[in-house]
Amino acid sequence: MPSAVLEVKGLSKRFGGLTAVSNLDFEVREGEILGVIGPNGAGKSTTFNLIAGTYPASSGEVFFNQESILGLPPHQIARRGVMRTFQHNRPFAGMSVLDNVLVGGHARFRAALWKVVFGNASQEETVMRERARELVEFVGLGELQDADVTMLSFGQGRLLEIARALAGEPRLILLDEPAAGLTPDELERIAHVIRGIAARGIAVLLIEHDMHFLLPLAQRVVVLNFGAKIADAHPDQVRADPAVMDAYLGDHAAAR
Amino acid sequence: MKSGLRWVVAFVVLAGLPFLLGSYYNDVYRKMLLWVTLALGYNFLFGIGGQVAFSHFAFYGVGAYSIVIFLFQLNLPLPLAVLLGVALCVVVALAVAIPSTRLEGFYLALATLALAQLFVVVLNEGGAVTGGPGGIANYRLPEIFGLRIRGPWYTVVIVVLLLATFAVLWRLDRSWFGRACRAVRDNPEAAAAMGVDVARTKVIVFTLTSALAGIAGMVYAFVDNTVNPPIFGLDNAFLILFMVIVGGAGRHAGAIVGAVLLFLLPFFLAPLVGHHHVLVFGILVLAAILVAPKGLIGFYDALRRS
Repeated sequence: MPSAVLEVKGLSKRFGGLTAVSNLDFEVREGEILGVIGPNGAGKSTTFNLIAGTYPASSGEVFFNQESILGLPPHQIARRGVMRTFQHNRPFAGMSVLDNVLVGGHARFRAALWKVVFGNASQEETVMRERARELVEFVGLGELQDADVTMLSFGQGRLLEIARALAGEPRLILLDEPAAGLTPDELERIAHVIRGIAARGIAVLLIEHDMHFLLPLAQRVVVLNFGAKIADAHPDQVRADPAVMDAYLGDHAAAR
Repeated sequence: MKSGLRWVVAFVVLAGLPFLLGSYYNDVYRKMLLWVTLALGYNFLFGIGGQVAFSHFAFYGVGAYSIVIFLFQLNLPLPLAVLLGVALCVVVALAVAIPSTRLEGFYLALATLALAQLFVVVLNEGGAVTGGPGGIANYRLPEIFGLRIRGPWYTVVIVVLLLATFAVLWRLDRSWFGRACRAVRDNPEAAAAMGVDVARTKVIVFTLTSALAGIAGMVYAFVDNTVNPPIFGLDNAFLILFMVIVGGAGRHAGAIVGAVLLFLLPFFLAPLVGHHHVLVFGILVLAAILVAPKGLIGFYDALRRS
């Protein structure tokens, strides 16, 4: 079995009297797509933000490559190889598609600042630019690489988020509801891209509300309800689990 | 044209021009070049780094005063005076930037506004060291290798300053650092998620551009051979902001166009409206913000595209 890239142990987050995440354990392995689902308010986004370093945890541990990353600021977590996307696209609005992706590769630039000014850092720039171009192609935005990001559609913006995160050469990528607001065609495209990411050996942690999108895609699914884990299994088992059906799927089916 | 050749051509043209101008126009010309230098630095801080700071002109003053004080009050040799002047700018910039960039943008604006005001107070109250309200005058540039640089030759020094500043900013802008600055300006949280140390990036941009302003100030000190408090007041601090906004924030070309235009405008307006040119400035800035928020350069781009 491939080794665990991310291990979450006993993770909890309380906001005042509300326990948003309660004693959560799970792991994500190399090249695996792990889905995290749950009804609204189940603690999915909080979990995500705890791992990415956006919020401090109340208790518990998070190990990435066997090293504790809990309590590190977001930029240091990114530098170690955990890259994320945002649920609501957050492009750098004054820049081109390619430059946005190059910002994603920020931590992979080696040239020191003095070398940028007085030395020659152009070779590294060329190499990184080429890599960024490949990623833009990979997510299918090739023709738009020089476009201003404000010209992108919502779906294209979602793909840009993914390309930008991949530019950081992550070992773990955190995707925050990548399917939300996409058309059926775009959903198919993004599912294809996510499978391609896992095929590169990158661990994928996918937080998703839409189980019709998630269940065929994920190799394993963690189900959250009221901040606690109620299932951790293969998608088929999750589908058949009455507790899950009760907490989430029935509710979700009724909402459709 | 290869980029190296482009810089050489720019130097030859800019440095050749003062030899064709009379001494009055040479003076106008070299002051314009200094404004362009300042605007380029301020554009990097404000337009690219997204930091609303009012201290840029104060650092120009710190540079100008420090070189004069180190050279003529403390009788230090020129290279040491330059090094100490830069060091002083860096220390003051760090002292302002480290606490205030950790807060939201508004606090940086306030802190730098306070610094700019405080600087003028210090100059006025500095007694013999700063020369008080009258400043320091009647000094001249020491000989360098037995040569006394003056007239159009000193303008060549200013051209070197301008091109060196531009080259540094140009290279920074086209690197991971320039992109990180823009990312921090556009969306700090997303920038952090991409591995950018937001606070550090802000402090570096602030310190670097402030030091560049200080160096420009050192060169300015020998333009009129006098430094006094009114030159470094808030009027000019706001003028730099206007130059960058009118020209087009975030673009080097915008800073250049804005600086040249707003510097030369009073010369053309003064015969027509006298001292009311400030009013015209106000209207221009309002027009830029309302009609062309990307400045004259953004306006030009839009025209070219359509």
